[in-house]
Amino acid sequence: MFLEWIKKQGKLFYEIWPLIPAAAYLIGFLIIIGIYLINLSLTFANAGIIYYPTLKTFYDVFSNPKFLHALISTTIFVVIGTPLELIAGLFLALILYKSFIFRNFIRSIFLIPLAIPALVTATLLFILFDFPGGHINHLLMGKYPLFPQLIQEALNWRASEFLALGISMIGKIWRDMPISMLILLAGLNSIDPELFDSAKTMGAGIRQRIIYIILPLIIPSISAVVLLRSIEMWKEFIFPFVLAGKYNLLSTLIESFYNDWGNSYAASVVALIMVFCIIITAYLFILLMEYFKKRILRS
Amino acid sequence: MNIYSVKDKLKKLIWVGSIVFALALILLPLYLLIKYSISDASSINTGGAPIPLWPYHPTLKCYKYLFSDTQFYNVLSNSLIIALLTVIISMILGVPAAYVLGKYKLPGRHLLILGLISVRLFPDIASVIPIAEFFIKLRLHNTYTSIVLAHSLLALPYVIFIGMSAFESIPLDLEQQARVMGAKGFTIFFRVLFPLAMPGLAAAAIYTFLLSWDEFIFAYFLLGLGKITTLTLFLKQKLAYSPPQNLLATISVILSVPVIIFSLLLQKYMAAGITTGSVK
Repeated sequence: MFLEWIKKQGKLFYEIWPLIPAAAYLIGFLIIIGIYLINLSLTFANAGIIYYPTLKTFYDVFSNPKFLHALISTTIFVVIGTPLELIAGLFLALILYKSFIFRNFIRSIFLIPLAIPALVTATLLFILFDFPGGHINHLLMGKYPLFPQLIQEALNWRASEFLALGISMIGKIWRDMPISMLILLAGLNSIDPELFDSAKTMGAGIRQRIIYIILPLIIPSISAVVLLRSIEMWKEFIFPFVLAGKYNLLSTLIESFYNDWGNSYAASVVALIMVFCIIITAYLFILLMEYFKKRILRS
Repeated sequence: MNIYSVKDKLKKLIWVGSIVFALALILLPLYLLIKYSISDASSINTGGAPIPLWPYHPTLKCYKYLFSDTQFYNVLSNSLIIALLTVIISMILGVPAAYVLGKYKLPGRHLLILGLISVRLFPDIASVIPIAEFFIKLRLHNTYTSIVLAHSLLALPYVIFIGMSAFESIPLDLEQQARVMGAKGFTIFFRVLFPLAMPGLAAAAIYTFLLSWDEFIFAYFLLGLGKITTLTLFLKQKLAYSPPQNLLATISVILSVPVIIFSLLLQKYMAAGITTGSVK
């Protein structure tokens, strides 16, 4: 009996041993990240004295107005950015949904933003939204033919919190919209075309077909986009770092605490809070999507 | 009948207009990036006049300047060395793991896969602090080792995932036929499975290379302003000092070109049907 068990375990080990180095590497680092993040956030340093374990760093971070401001800004960034990315992805997906010549070629072009490094996209926006002489300022000031004048004086995009975070959001949406497009396109392609034909025969218009056929059937894809993109919005670092500078989101506040203030403890606390926000957001979106799904199916 | 044809034409017009708009939205910024990289100073500092949509005197001055700078060669070689070492480590660790997960139906396989990819569920900006502190403790901060190990950590879940699909798509019959003909474990892996999984594994390797090549967050926190500078760090350093926009655009183009080219190749590899007709 025992020998059989040993033999079975030996066979299992023979099968899985190539997996062990990678598993050890990934799980080892995961444990290191978890332990360090918790240990650092429970540490507080004052006048060269280290206190551990303590919640003083949490208290410090929560009472810091910069943190509260960053938390609110990030929440707004997520709440506005996620639906915009969904709309952008849906727009591209609906274009590709119809079968036409060069469809694959255009699909490849639509995927290009994803291939551009985020730092390059941020640099490009840095150049285009330059003050006072960027292309966008000149465009809005009506300096190019066929485009009306919308502003009198050039806007200093990176000197205003609203505009700086706004262009960060534009960059994020532009770069990531192909991901939303792919997910939604997969959802759209799974709809049986016969459903459309039947609805059309029975006199359903475009609006009815969208509301009663497309929307309920691509709810899973929409949920996936909203969930994944909202998580990405919480995590976003490069665009606000390059374009919004001092106007912090949670991600850039982590960088600021770590590099500018040399405070790895506060940075870890903000990092933990960010992870917590992501988990809460994911949970809330799942609940919300379930609710909408039920309502749509009922209607 | 006539009303329908007008309606159809209008629909078609809206659809074509949408395609043109979407293409402009994607291609125009890229065109402007390339345009800036070949712009002369007078096409950027226009003194209030509209910036031209095509440079007055197109020039490759910035490219020549960068490629005559020895520091830039160091930066390029650093990025290249780090990316290649990341590919080597990720593939050495990832391919055997992908093989096991793709071929054997292990107990608790899904939980195991979740455990392996869960490191990627952490936001980079949240996991970089503990990793930076860990490498500082090991005195590996500002070294090739730290950045290569960190990039491998980022790439490994993708290698396992892509590799796993590549191995899964190879019919089990092939392995069994090879076994019947007397081939042993290593021979089967290297002579039968590995060549068939090659397109998928190549895709994983290219993806890993790209991930490391354009990675910024870990490079910024682990290398900072030390002696090892990657291309993304070089671009960030230049951004901080507000250099001429044409120089920024040129560095951006150099950083993006391999990514775009390899991404197109990656699409091709991903699309390849590798096992069609391999079992008689």
